[in-house]
Amino acid sequence: MKATNVLLPLSIVTRLGVVLLLCFFAMMTEYLNYKTAYNNPRLVELASGKSVRVFYEATDAIFDFLGDPIEVAQSNGGMTWSIRVLGVPFTDPVAAISVFAKGGSWTWGFVLGLAVPVSLALIFGRVFCAYVCPASLAFYTMFRIRHVLEKWFLLPDLKLNRGFAWGVLIGGTGAAIWAGHGVWSLILPYFAVGQTLFHGIAMGTLSISLGSIVFFALLDLFFGPQFTCRYVCPTGRLLGFIGRRSLVSVRRDANRCIDQCNTCAEVCPMNVSPKLDQTVDCSLCGACLTMCPSNCLSVGNRGEK
Amino acid sequence: MKNSWISRKTSRSSFIKSLIGGAVAAFLIPLIDKLPAKSRFRRFLRPPGALPGDAFLDACIGCAQCVNVCPNKCITLYGLEGGIENLATPKISARAQACILCMACTQVCPTGALEKLEPTKEGMRAVNMGVAVLSEDVCYSYAGRTCGVCYRACPLPGEAMTIGLFEQPMVHPEYCIGCGLCEQSCVHMPQAIRVIPRSEWEDRLARARLS
Repeated sequence: MKATNVLLPLSIVTRLGVVLLLCFFAMMTEYLNYKTAYNNPRLVELASGKSVRVFYEATDAIFDFLGDPIEVAQSNGGMTWSIRVLGVPFTDPVAAISVFAKGGSWTWGFVLGLAVPVSLALIFGRVFCAYVCPASLAFYTMFRIRHVLEKWFLLPDLKLNRGFAWGVLIGGTGAAIWAGHGVWSLILPYFAVGQTLFHGIAMGTLSISLGSIVFFALLDLFFGPQFTCRYVCPTGRLLGFIGRRSLVSVRRDANRCIDQCNTCAEVCPMNVSPKLDQTVDCSLCGACLTMCPSNCLSVGNRGEK
Repeated sequence: MKNSWISRKTSRSSFIKSLIGGAVAAFLIPLIDKLPAKSRFRRFLRPPGALPGDAFLDACIGCAQCVNVCPNKCITLYGLEGGIENLATPKISARAQACILCMACTQVCPTGALEKLEPTKEGMRAVNMGVAVLSEDVCYSYAGRTCGVCYRACPLPGEAMTIGLFEQPMVHPEYCIGCGLCEQSCVHMPQAIRVIPRSEWEDRLARARLS
């Protein structure tokens, strides 16, 4: 199987994996409570019913494999905003900017957490958007729905430029200084998804962030394809800026490329044009690779032709 | 059609226009705070080891890792009920579920909004979540019916709380750490003892001195 056919399914699978991981972390909170309060399936059933007992015993089986639940929770947890997986911390660059601007305190784990996201952006570009971001999964679905709807309806295709997302980053930082870091949970789509999942599963309440997700999804559906990812999301803009000269990117074999064809730019969710060799913001999602009629596109080292 | 994808250069003026547009759009978000709110008067506690007052809000990014690790499930996240400045920050409602001072949340906080503490007596004494305030006119023990439940729930018995005749509790504010276990355990409805933030307690003290 060629790499061209693998990338797009892979990106969907990894994003689904991230969503499942977030759900698992949120459910771990529920499980920890039952573990420390009852530590006995029969007592759990007496307190909360049969279905919770099934959940408890199933999670027990998982933790037989993973180890002591308290220790697992100490080294795994969090949300898309700041997460620990196997003891390795990951920090969102926007969170670091926000805390730095507001003059909050730092820990070494927080600073070291920047290492992996930033170096990933330097090497692969904006891969976070296509392989990690749980919100972009929803927006990609909207992108496909829009494709179907465009057969019957004339949908607007609003175009902004890169300044808007930079403005959201600056304005959001200002709003965070003024009103608290919580405003990011309404501005950043992936943070909103994390909040909604966490509120819903761990605490059983509806989060205000759900409204923000619905707003962005409608924006995507009715104002332009992948509107949020292209023009609004400040994290995507920041990662795109960091990875604008990334080592790995989409390459084009100019000899095989068909002059009249513009398929790659039309299917691209990120508004990138491999046709013009403009691959800033490329998230390596592989949509253009699958659609290219002449197979002239490949993923590889930027310098080599 | 062709020109629309060929011309990908943006002029400086349109870039700056979009920049300002984005900044203004992001600044509209805090205005939801101006919408009518249900209640701002309900008090909540912060998790143990929290930095005092605004320093906590400066540092806390709302990543929910403390909520995730809490084995007692006492920490929950704010929605909009505490205003936009408290959005997504952790809170403890002591009457519903009080903190058992296991200090798991202080170990995982990535930004240091919660200072690292150990689940020992020394670690407990370093906690400053608030002060317990007793309403003697409500308390069973002060009405002649011995109860003493709050004393038995206190993690620092004899220091933060002592009992006298008929198990009448007495709170010592200089040693009370405000975990809220007494408030959770109180058998009277509404509770005779409740935890208030230390700043509010100092205000009350000043007012009492004036009168």
